[in-house]
Amino acid sequence: MSEMQGVLVIGGGIAGMQASLDLADQGFTVYLVERNPSIGGRMAQLDKTFPTLDCASCIMTPKMVDVGRHPNIKMLIYSEITKISRAGKKFKVKVLRKPRYVDETKCIGCGICAQHCPIEIPNEFDEGLGLRKAVYVPFPQAVPLIYTIDKDNCIECGLCEKVCGAEAVDPNQEPEEVELEVGAIIVATGYNLFDSRKKEEYGYGIYDNVITGLELERLLSASGPTGGHVLRPSDGKIPKKVAFLQCVGSRDEKVGNQYCSRVCCMYATKEAELVKEHVPGTETTIFYMDIRAFGKGYEEFYIRAEKEFGIKYVKGRVAEILEDTASKNLLIRAENIESGELIEEEVDMVILCAGLVPALTDEMRKILPLPIDDYGFITTAHPKIDPVSTSLKGVFTAGVAEGPKDIPDTVAQASAAAMKASIVAKG
Amino acid sequence: MPKEEEPRIGVYICHCGINIAATVDVEEVAKYAEKLPNVVVAKHYVYVCSSPGQSMIKDDIEEHKLNRVIVASCSPTMHEPTFRKVVAEAGLNPYLFEMANIREQCSWVHPKEPQKATEKAKDLIKMAVAKSRLLERLQVKEAGVTLRALIIGAGISGMRSALDLADRGFEVHLIEKAPSIGGRMAQLDELYPTSEYALDVLKPIMDAVTSHPKIKLFTNSELEALDGFIGNFKAKIRVKPRYVTNECNACGKCETVCPIEVSNDFDFGLSKRKAVYLPFTVAMPRTYVIDYENCNKCGKCIEVCERGAIDLKEKPMKMEVDVGTIIVATGHDLYEPPKGEYGYKVYDNIITMPQLERLLDENGPTQGQLQFKGSTPKSVVFISCVGSRQEPGIYQPIEKDQQLNRYCSRVCCTATFQNVLSIKKKYPDTRIYYLYRDIRSFGKGHEEYYRKASESGVLFLKYKPEVPPVVSSDQKGLLVTVEDILTNNETIAIPADLVVLNVGMIPRNDASDIQTKLRISRGADGFFQEAHAKLRPLETPLDGIYLAGTTQGPKDITESTIMGSAAAAKAAIPLARGKVEVEPTVASVNEDICKGCGRCEEVCEYGAIKVEETGPFDRVPMLVAKVTEAQCKGCGSCSVVCPNGAITMRHFTKEQIKAMVRAATGG
Repeated sequence: MSEMQGVLVIGGGIAGMQASLDLADQGFTVYLVERNPSIGGRMAQLDKTFPTLDCASCIMTPKMVDVGRHPNIKMLIYSEITKISRAGKKFKVKVLRKPRYVDETKCIGCGICAQHCPIEIPNEFDEGLGLRKAVYVPFPQAVPLIYTIDKDNCIECGLCEKVCGAEAVDPNQEPEEVELEVGAIIVATGYNLFDSRKKEEYGYGIYDNVITGLELERLLSASGPTGGHVLRPSDGKIPKKVAFLQCVGSRDEKVGNQYCSRVCCMYATKEAELVKEHVPGTETTIFYMDIRAFGKGYEEFYIRAEKEFGIKYVKGRVAEILEDTASKNLLIRAENIESGELIEEEVDMVILCAGLVPALTDEMRKILPLPIDDYGFITTAHPKIDPVSTSLKGVFTAGVAEGPKDIPDTVAQASAAAMKASIVAKG
Repeated sequence: MPKEEEPRIGVYICHCGINIAATVDVEEVAKYAEKLPNVVVAKHYVYVCSSPGQSMIKDDIEEHKLNRVIVASCSPTMHEPTFRKVVAEAGLNPYLFEMANIREQCSWVHPKEPQKATEKAKDLIKMAVAKSRLLERLQVKEAGVTLRALIIGAGISGMRSALDLADRGFEVHLIEKAPSIGGRMAQLDELYPTSEYALDVLKPIMDAVTSHPKIKLFTNSELEALDGFIGNFKAKIRVKPRYVTNECNACGKCETVCPIEVSNDFDFGLSKRKAVYLPFTVAMPRTYVIDYENCNKCGKCIEVCERGAIDLKEKPMKMEVDVGTIIVATGHDLYEPPKGEYGYKVYDNIITMPQLERLLDENGPTQGQLQFKGSTPKSVVFISCVGSRQEPGIYQPIEKDQQLNRYCSRVCCTATFQNVLSIKKKYPDTRIYYLYRDIRSFGKGHEEYYRKASESGVLFLKYKPEVPPVVSSDQKGLLVTVEDILTNNETIAIPADLVVLNVGMIPRNDASDIQTKLRISRGADGFFQEAHAKLRPLETPLDGIYLAGTTQGPKDITESTIMGSAAAAKAAIPLARGKVEVEPTVASVNEDICKGCGRCEEVCEYGAIKVEETGPFDRVPMLVAKVTEAQCKGCGSCSVVCPNGAITMRHFTKEQIKAMVRAATGG
């Protein structure tokens, strides 16, 4: 057998992490490229996970640490791919390491710089609900635990440089280009949430108390912007009545997304349960089209939510939401398909269970011409029997980049992609 | 280390930036630690895990001749491996390192009570010191790995696992209980969402498995027993007699003359087969098999076989193989409705969806004609969730003690659409009704398929589980009555020529047998249980044994294929490394005290401790418990139940724990 080749993994979410670990454990050198300052991806933003209600960061942090200290995983974090070309059976890859303006080899992640930084801006990790400094780590368990200066918002006051005991701040850091040679590539670029503004009738971005499911995750999280209290953005009060709307941007031809996002029924059920757990007595209603509790233990979870937690399920699509300008309460207009009645219900807060849309960018597809479907998800070689290979030889995909899926399905697909990549890269 | 050597302990208190230091007075804690017995040096530092922090520890080991190190910082999950490595680099045994968690267990949970948090940090360190004084050196052992995988089950997921591991370069033993590989997928007609014919997709995979030089295939074979641990399993396999040798060229003459006809399981009883038969058209291997139980031994097949391939005296063969890793891909069974559920087996013209697949299959009993009992139905009613989503309280088991299947079977909704489209293609005038609870067409391209089926004219009626459809019969035929939610609970009666029950997947009837042999666990739903619902969907609690396909829960072909490759990835890791590390922090038996009572063996979930005969002493064989260290997880269950105190958990000895308790309670 000739020499084992390296493998490039694009995306450091749970799919990219799992694929990296499985390859690295076999002995392959893995280059894990992530454009954000930390690995962890979307899963790191979640509070608890269905159907076991395991806290997401509790089960994920050890995995992130495993990735961070694996001798065979070379992490290229806060980096972007700029070029991929074929060289025989191998790929030549150029990666741009964006300047953090903090020396990775010196920063010990103590956080003193952030303490002194005078700039506060909305934190992307908290979906903009909390604040972070201009020098920051996205979340406390970040891997690598290295601070990054956000030059767009930095006023160059120099305080961080002065207080850093490790002398790690380097305002003159330049981007660095790294060249790699690999035998296989795994694309695990994940997803963004559907932009709920496109469903104008629901008032997201217009009404204060209409938020997305991911925003609610941050509110539910003990390490989130409200310390784990579900509070209305308009007045900071605890909502007594909360409504969840399913299929926002999914199963909706009007917005061009016919597909089901697979996770929303379950995350809404979980979030409704958690809202009730935080404040017993909260009324929660889920407006749905079909309840799709198909995974292992999911149906049982859904039935328990309805029967034991008293979460109300109403079959019907919400037609529109109106805001009471004084109270900022929301009036929901919907049809209850089961009873045939028209519903007008006033609630304190509305959660839009926005679907998943691919995060794969056009720029990335210019670098690597991956075939995609009508929605932008990566098309695989055969939908039944070759569900991780792409039509580009040596290039595989895993996770939501290929199509919406939950965490166990993502983890399994990541391992599958790792297997396929190992066959190609074994030399 | 010689026992008389005095412990010399270094204690390092981490600020973790501000994570600990903002709450806990680290300086005070360091001063306190310095005065504890055997502590030679105690320091606090902003980030002990950083490279200067690590150097500080190494320098102190050298300078102060430390033989124990304690770091008081975060959770051991986070940095125990880091610091074990640090002390090892300085020449200490890594198990002489101890950690006190003063972040997760102290500063993070008591941010508003700094004084009390500081006192708690002191206590935690005092306990760590008490344990540290009694620590012993331990060695990580290595065990070799047999570079071969065993895969149980040659359905779509097991075949995928086998091909991937073989393509990766590893030898694979693939065993299949049935006379042919192919599994459940071979019984399907067309596949969603591409409408390809199942056997067209399956056949190339079966061919690849059969011809791969790295795959040794054993059909008609079962796992009889398993022993050993990751990297070093011994599997006993029983190859059942086929009564037809490899000389068979599948000419089929034997079948023609065989006088016996029995119900054909492959067609779910919709056709008959002979006692000598080929399981299905493209069965692999292409060797006939004799159903010995039903064979009357008339010998006609022997007479006509020109190649002398029939051997009614063939005996079962047993073999033992060494394998490094194992994939369980034993698949599922289909729910068989009890008599009377939706009129099943009470009225004619009620079939299950798998039976419908056989009727629609060109190679099936009706050559693809939708004919049942001689006529082509003009009106077909599908009923969803038969044997799936059975809610307790609403759903009454028809037979007592019948287990309720609470889960969704994942595939039935979209499979219905496939069958609707197939029927409509062949018989455009057929009226089709789908009585459902929720449409669960969640997979890639499935929603689009749902729309295609809707546009083909199928009528959807949604029922509540509390008021399920009722199937009755009058002179004209079947009548299905349903309270339809979509028309405001109007009761609708549908005359039906054929009722199709969408039966779900259930655990295989041999699941408990496999469970016993492999010592893997099953969930409340009866399917094999993965190690963690979210992040370890392929692993079992037993190292080296992995799950693929519907053996773990209902899945479609895409998902089973993914899981097949994914399980292969897990199974490949020990094979690629060629060795496994054996943690020393496991149970150890004092054979002088052990009475061989076996209670430890009963409670061990990992099969790691077994009572064995030893001795003899005074010509009487003695019984003692023996630990297979590579299998032991160090959970301590055996140590707890041992009535004689014969079992010690290394690195968590009773003396060490008692010392910690005494330190904590001031005793």
